[in-house]
Amino acid sequence: MSDLVGYLVTGLGLGAGFALVASGLVAIYRVTRVVNFAQGAFAVLAAMLTSSLLGAGLPHGVAEAGGVLLGAAAGLIVGVVAIGRPGTSPGTSLIVTLGLGVLAYAIEVLIWGDQPRSYPGVPGVAEVAGARLQAHYLLILAVTGPVFAVLAWFFSRTDLGKALSACASNPYAARVVGISVRRMGLHAFVLGGALGGLAGVLTTPVQQVTFDSDVALIVNGFAAAVLGGLTRPVVALAGGLLLGVAQTLVAGYGGGAYQVEVALVLMLTVMIIQSARSGPVPATAS
Amino acid sequence: MRLAVAAVAALVLPLLLPERHLATFVLLTLAAAVTVGVSLLMGYAGQVSLGQASFSAIGAYTAGLLAVHGVPPVPALLAAPIVAAVAAVLIGFPLLRLRGHHLAFATLAVQLILLSLLAQAEWAGGAIGLQGIPRFSVGDFSLREDIGYAYLALLVLGIALLVSRNVVSSRPGRGLRAAATSEIAAAASGVPVGGYRLVVFALSASFAGLAGGVYAFYLGYLAPGSFPVLLSIEYVVMAVVGGLGTLAGPVVGAVLIVVLVQVLNTLGTMPGMPDYAPSVLSYAVYALLLVGCVLFLPRGVVPALRAVADRGVARRTGAG
Repeated sequence: MSDLVGYLVTGLGLGAGFALVASGLVAIYRVTRVVNFAQGAFAVLAAMLTSSLLGAGLPHGVAEAGGVLLGAAAGLIVGVVAIGRPGTSPGTSLIVTLGLGVLAYAIEVLIWGDQPRSYPGVPGVAEVAGARLQAHYLLILAVTGPVFAVLAWFFSRTDLGKALSACASNPYAARVVGISVRRMGLHAFVLGGALGGLAGVLTTPVQQVTFDSDVALIVNGFAAAVLGGLTRPVVALAGGLLLGVAQTLVAGYGGGAYQVEVALVLMLTVMIIQSARSGPVPATAS
Repeated sequence: MRLAVAAVAALVLPLLLPERHLATFVLLTLAAAVTVGVSLLMGYAGQVSLGQASFSAIGAYTAGLLAVHGVPPVPALLAAPIVAAVAAVLIGFPLLRLRGHHLAFATLAVQLILLSLLAQAEWAGGAIGLQGIPRFSVGDFSLREDIGYAYLALLVLGIALLVSRNVVSSRPGRGLRAAATSEIAAAASGVPVGGYRLVVFALSASFAGLAGGVYAFYLGYLAPGSFPVLLSIEYVVMAVVGGLGTLAGPVVGAVLIVVLVQVLNTLGTMPGMPDYAPSVLSYAVYALLLVGCVLFLPRGVVPALRAVADRGVARRTGAG
């Protein structure tokens, strides 16, 4: 029983990381229709910078904030290159973000080398319903919950959030009422970068990060996001948590080797079912 | 005429190259053969595959395992493209319903699953890899020198080019081109879009599988790490940079990128350079070429050069 609780909380913590990556993907996709392949790179860059800042003696909190800021800045750069030129199709933008993700490898290896990095998070061991687990998992959950609440408030209550949602639901109408769709797209990339950065900063103490960790992050994030058709952040949160729990349960009871397959097979199944339901040609938003 | 010149040049080149460059030539030619398939898939069927290296891996492991267990090299090599194509049909049947970024992620996922399974498969050598693959031989004639593998690789590239040229100019090929532009219109005109897509997917997988088979005999050793996700991305880079939907494109793309990476590698390993320099330089090359190409030369190097050449000819004839 206590094993199960332990796996569940660890799984939720792991899943919260996926959910943050997924919400970044969703924020960008909703507004720009671009699936951002560089989303995992934001997390890796932020985690690497945080480890350096902590190494340089900066206090916790400041170092993590620096990491998230770098994620947001990287988001802006990727956004400018991927959607900055008029007439870039979403397909082309996808390839551009793929290329920028590889460019991030060069930058990361150049600055931080190719060895795994980590840094201490919340120290100590917590007890939840008789299960002992690293206390840091509780911090991940304690941060992710409010972040999603703020996201929901941001999209539904603030002017900027409403403008972003307007671009998401009808770009043409948004342009008619004077919203710059491209500028909103860049805002979405900055937001996506910050969310990706937050994911990397939060999960690195419990999972080491290397320059090519982004592949696993982006695939898990995409798997979580795809549940909600890439447009609904709350479903992405649920998807991420589900994925994290499923993976830790498989690792805990079924042997650690197969946890990668769980996420991927789940994602493939969901995508195939969705495409079978909606037909081979996706309906385009008018 | 141009084709004959290119063929002769390709056949003579291995004889002129110094011994130490032959390995690069073999790997380049095999990469070009895989890229021909990627270009066919992306250019004619309109599909992005980020998992093409998994079909190379399937072909390589098929040939390697058969050869290790005593099957003569020729049938072992011939099995490589067949098994890869069968795998592509099995995988493609559910996956090819997906479009665009969904298909890109699905193929990436398939490759990650394959790599994870290979690393756990004890019978395939697991994470350590499959060792002791014999050299390629036909009867008593055994291929020991790099030069032999250079011609074997050229043969593979020639087959890939020939097959894809015939596919492109065939009726199904025209149907596919129509489907890449508008799937609904093509389907309405009676093109069995789904079936053709599956065939192209299987065909491109068989090129990758055949190249993988030669790779297995050439190196004599295979590991899951020989087929990373980045390798699949490299094939996409080569196809996009060279120019999708042309036959020369994939070859030019592969040559351009492999030679450039090789030159930078040589620079990066010069004394005094830090040990991470080669990988940093090659990542940067892939990234900048890919981004630069899709933004500024969206149709690739070969069509761009052709357009420049045509303009030059037109100007000269116009003046004269």
